[in-house]
Amino acid sequence: MTTRTHPPGPPPPHDPDDERLPCGRMLSRVWADWEDGATDAHTADCPHCREAVADLDRLETTVRALRDDTAGYDAAPLTRRVMDVVRMELRPGRPLPLGDHDEDLWVMEAAAARTLRAAAERVPGVRAGSCRFAPGPAGGARGPVAVRIEVHAPLSTPDLHVLAGEVRRRVLGAADRLLGLDVTDVDIRITDLVEEPDGAPDGRTEGGPR
Amino acid sequence: MAVDRTPTRPPDDPPDDRLDGPDDSLLTARAAEGDEEAFAVLVRRHAGGLIRLAHRLLGNRAEAEDAVQDAFISAWRKLPEFRGQAGFGTWLYRIVTNRCLNVLRARKPQGPWEAADDMPAPEHTVAPDRITEARAAVRDLHEALTGLSAEQRACWVLREVDGQPYEFIADTLGITQQAVRARVFRARRHLTNALGAWR
Repeated sequence: MTTRTHPPGPPPPHDPDDERLPCGRMLSRVWADWEDGATDAHTADCPHCREAVADLDRLETTVRALRDDTAGYDAAPLTRRVMDVVRMELRPGRPLPLGDHDEDLWVMEAAAARTLRAAAERVPGVRAGSCRFAPGPAGGARGPVAVRIEVHAPLSTPDLHVLAGEVRRRVLGAADRLLGLDVTDVDIRITDLVEEPDGAPDGRTEGGPR
Repeated sequence: MAVDRTPTRPPDDPPDDRLDGPDDSLLTARAAEGDEEAFAVLVRRHAGGLIRLAHRLLGNRAEAEDAVQDAFISAWRKLPEFRGQAGFGTWLYRIVTNRCLNVLRARKPQGPWEAADDMPAPEHTVAPDRITEARAAVRDLHEALTGLSAEQRACWVLREVDGQPYEFIADTLGITQQAVRARVFRARRHLTNALGAWR
């Protein structure tokens, strides 16, 4: 596939750098045609046009060498430096209440979201994205919360209701057993249906690393 | 005959650990909600391509890494407001390009130019004299690039070296396609003249 999909637009008007070749063609047009892969009877035979195109070909040859020179980087050191700064600027979110009404125990939103996303992903083929919290119907700073989680589901899912029910069960179970977070509702949004990678058995159902 | 200028890597289709982990949109949503591990995966996935882009724009590896590092940190800070219309890769491509453009603008005209010495040697096996020849040509090209304005250089690199479509370049830089075409044309004029003079 090429990217030569733009219309063969006219050259920039009155460009002082443009030049009329001895054959009468503007240089900008000859180069634009070259770029578009457009040829006509004139360019095939005209020595001036051929010379103009040869200049670009030579440039292109050097550009290829330049591309080779700027290929292949080890991203690990840069990733470390970036993450060192990021970890000093974490955004843990608001605290969510854990345990009973009279307790003073909290979990930060980002941490709770991580746990609930991992729980949702125990359903084979499910991948979790956004996971947000809102006060439940009872309200109050230490009241139960509602969860809204967005997931990608496998395209091959026979019944999305069943899948959503399974995600909800996993999320509620993790909120209760792993966090002790009182969750009233789990609102599930399936934001995409995706094909699973070929022949990739889903190891996440056993709680493998994500 | 026109050459195939297909981008070597569209910004949102990185080959690195493509199948290892969730796709960018999910990771971006997680990172926006404060999941730094999701952000780390995005950084690993896109860093190589972005350093390559910045290196091509700036001609200097150390400055390129600085620009990409700053771009990622700025992205982490802006993520809560990011609505994901463009995709993470395209968003970062834009941040890095504009950051590099500012670096180029701040350079003194004809300032000290790093020779291409620190660049890794091409890995293909070619006869030594052909390598020398190619490296000399690349060095000449680097030298000729210093004669371009920051804007011409950015447009030319995105088009000719990175193989991006004119429409994408116009969006990335926030200018019209007409302006991009005019700058690429002037850059080609300058570069073919400069390289021709040394033939």
